[in-house]
Amino acid sequence: MAGLELLSDQGYRLDGRRAAELRKVQARMGVFAQADGSAYIEQGNTRALAVVYGPHEVRGSRSKTLHDRAVINCQYSMATFSTAERKRRPHGDRKSSEMSLHLKQTFEAAVLTQLYPRSQIDIYVKILQSDGGNYSACVNAATLALVDAGIPMRDYVCACTAGFVEDTPLADLCHAEESGGGTTLALALLPRSENIALVQMDARLHQDHLDALMEAAMMACKGLSKVLDSVVRQHLQEVSVLTRE
Amino acid sequence: MRETPLSNCERLFLLKAIEEKKRLDGRQAYDYRNIKITFGTDYGCCTVCLGKTRVLAQVSCELVPPKDSRPTEGIMFFNLELSSMASPGFQPSRKQSSELLVTLNRQLERCLRNSKCIDTESLCVVSGEKVWQIRVDVHVLNHDGNLMDAASIAAISALCHFRRPDVAIQGRDITVFSPEERDPVPLSIYHMPICVSFAFFQQGTYLLVDPCEKEELVMDGLLVIAMNKHREICSVQSSGGIMLLKDQVIRCSKIASVKVSEITELINKALENDRQVRKEGGKFGFAESIPKERITALKREQAPVEMKDIEETADEIVREAEAPSEAVHSPVIVATGTGQVGEGLQNTWGLEEEDAEEEFQGGMDGKEKKKGTVCVCVCVCVGCAGFTHETIVQLV
Amino acid sequence: MAVDMRLPTVRKQISLSGSQSTDGKHLVVPGDVITSDTGFMRGHGTYMDDEKLTASVAGEVERVNKLICVRPLKTRFNGEVGDVVVGRITEVQQKRWKVETNSRLDSVLLLSSVNLPGGELRRRSAEDELAMRDYLQEGDLISAEVQSVFSDGALSLHTRSLKYGKLGQGVLVQVSPSLVKRQKTHFHNLPCGASIILGNNGYIWLYPTPGQQDEEAGGYYTSLEPVPLPDREVISRLRNCLLALAAHKVLLYDTSVLYCYESSLSHQMKDILKPEIMDEIVMETRQRLLEQEG
Repeated sequence: MAGLELLSDQGYRLDGRRAAELRKVQARMGVFAQADGSAYIEQGNTRALAVVYGPHEVRGSRSKTLHDRAVINCQYSMATFSTAERKRRPHGDRKSSEMSLHLKQTFEAAVLTQLYPRSQIDIYVKILQSDGGNYSACVNAATLALVDAGIPMRDYVCACTAGFVEDTPLADLCHAEESGGGTTLALALLPRSENIALVQMDARLHQDHLDALMEAAMMACKGLSKVLDSVVRQHLQEVSVLTRE
Repeated sequence: MRETPLSNCERLFLLKAIEEKKRLDGRQAYDYRNIKITFGTDYGCCTVCLGKTRVLAQVSCELVPPKDSRPTEGIMFFNLELSSMASPGFQPSRKQSSELLVTLNRQLERCLRNSKCIDTESLCVVSGEKVWQIRVDVHVLNHDGNLMDAASIAAISALCHFRRPDVAIQGRDITVFSPEERDPVPLSIYHMPICVSFAFFQQGTYLLVDPCEKEELVMDGLLVIAMNKHREICSVQSSGGIMLLKDQVIRCSKIASVKVSEITELINKALENDRQVRKEGGKFGFAESIPKERITALKREQAPVEMKDIEETADEIVREAEAPSEAVHSPVIVATGTGQVGEGLQNTWGLEEEDAEEEFQGGMDGKEKKKGTVCVCVCVCVGCAGFTHETIVQLV
Repeated sequence: MAVDMRLPTVRKQISLSGSQSTDGKHLVVPGDVITSDTGFMRGHGTYMDDEKLTASVAGEVERVNKLICVRPLKTRFNGEVGDVVVGRITEVQQKRWKVETNSRLDSVLLLSSVNLPGGELRRRSAEDELAMRDYLQEGDLISAEVQSVFSDGALSLHTRSLKYGKLGQGVLVQVSPSLVKRQKTHFHNLPCGASIILGNNGYIWLYPTPGQQDEEAGGYYTSLEPVPLPDREVISRLRNCLLALAAHKVLLYDTSVLYCYESSLSHQMKDILKPEIMDEIVMETRQRLLEQEG
């Protein structure tokens, strides 16, 4: 990709953002009436939809029940129309299985599963449009859906990607920046305690830059958590007004 | 077969030991087990023994048309297999992608492919038509913890060891030379990424490098960092439901860089040894490298065990132990070949009538002295241990 | 037949007038610190994080003397002793049935907690166990009362009264459990010509008022006679009214359902679910309810 520089001399990126600027985030909770919790989020051009069912009795194999905790079951899938080329296998391939596993691990750390022994919480996430930051959009949407379902959590889980170009960390990468061959770090964070629920990085990066990159990702996550916070509070206000009358 | 879960007392014991900075095999927190790298007779075949974990990697190549999106680059394909040989818990009948399999495969792919350790452009033969497809197959032979590290070491060693056939291009004709006609060509490898696994315990308070299988069952979560010796991080992946702090990740990366340089040294040495042996025409391959274990020779590997306070602790135990009870009474002879020592019930060994009477009397005598008598199985032991009658007489 | 189609429109923002929003309601989100005072007891929806009482769900803080808890907006049914529930049989196990009641674990209906047909009072024998499927099968709807709560949160139900038992012909409406008001009785015969069971777990059952009142033994006898058309119309209208009320998060009890039904009489049944007509009807209902209270 000659000539396509990820960071121009004036400090502008491909879509005109600054290095540490996030994409525009819009979210809504309570999208579906029949699910226990649901949420929809748009981060720039990436759109994700999350639905939560539970906690309910473990369906399927009884052997999965844990006697002291709830089982979290995640499924990640991409719509066939979400990428530039039509996807052949929306779920079941290795990348989706890995993503589902990561989502499950992220939320096992954040949800207070000890309160629901022998039950199961299902989280289904679907990417409707993919433009970089799939994992982060999923995590953010699933957090909102869990809050909507009234499932107790330690804190929000916010996720964001970060990259590194010419000694400058970039926050919230889009697809072109991710596939450009540079470093991509995806981070899921609990903002208040600064605990990292999941960290994942591909492509080469010198050890000394790791600190700066993680710091940039954490700042981006914290910014995102403020946006999610305002969405949740708005939703709370609306519903409480309705129930009061 | 379903794996038996770890018992609660084992779990508590392991956690307690880790709190006291002790590991089951005597290692320190940041120590690796013994790594042994051996190569097979063919180029591209490598076995790694990490303690008792054994992993085999094989590299093969094939000429195929390239991907449409990348016509000038070769294709790398990674595959990791878990069979029941490695551990009874791995079943082929379970759904294709079990969690562990998916994790290992993806991590291997991410570590080797995304880090661009191999120059894929050099694998191109005819742009847009024929490129080399390099396939790395990793098989786990024995699972004793830390499959990820072993697999990555095996894969990268096999790739370094591998030689592909030489090709000559004349116009549109491609001639592939067999190894006899022209020496095969090694792959061009930029750097060697190695995965280092860190296991976290007690919500991230304690950290261990290279967990063995039991430690893996007890751990809260795992952090895998792939680095090369130039201190470049190739991939970071945290798994398990643990919470990490940024400082922990930075610290782990520092530890990883030290370990990776050691392991890279080891791989280079092994490669060098193999090259020497092949050049000199000596015997090489697996048959030579597997140690000959004969039943008549009792041999154990040296295991480092900390003996610092052992003597003091042993002395203390001896000191504080109670003195043994009073000396054993002298044996009472009941009949030839039968004696009674100590207290207990009546003798029930089938002795003849007259002996029974004698024995009864002996028993009566015995009862005066002490509560009861028990017949020592001297007679029986005679048979087993090869004592002779003379010996018994001496005992008596 | 012509089908109604609509284009998407911008959603109306709920008006948050000043007096209502700052009405002293303490709304929290997960991770918010409620108080650092250690004198309070920790209730549901909270957890202790380093001596600080933190909320774990998004909702309203409720304080009763020294107990602080957070009630989430939406939650599965948390049963208490004495609640009336409507549930569906999911499994027939040894000596008990598993009933799905929209709670976090399936509820349990023990064989010893049901009335045997014929009203006999005797020890349940092995034949009773084998004949369990003749009483209740998978897929049957029942109304029952919560007898006790197990330690892991599962409910134990009983149908030891004539008014509980298997449900026959009718319509089931599923709403959120928080919308059903707790009352003295949950079984109502509405004057408009139908009967309603308001289950605390959010499952509401509408059925035609039974003719004779002398049914045998707790309703295992389900009549399969065809229900006359006017009754069906009443039930359909009631169902649409319930859905309209649930969409606007109005508390459901016999009075509110009745007022809504009366307001909707001026519209056609199928129009009730259209958004603007729904708004109208619900507003009327709310007004009448306010008048009635005040």
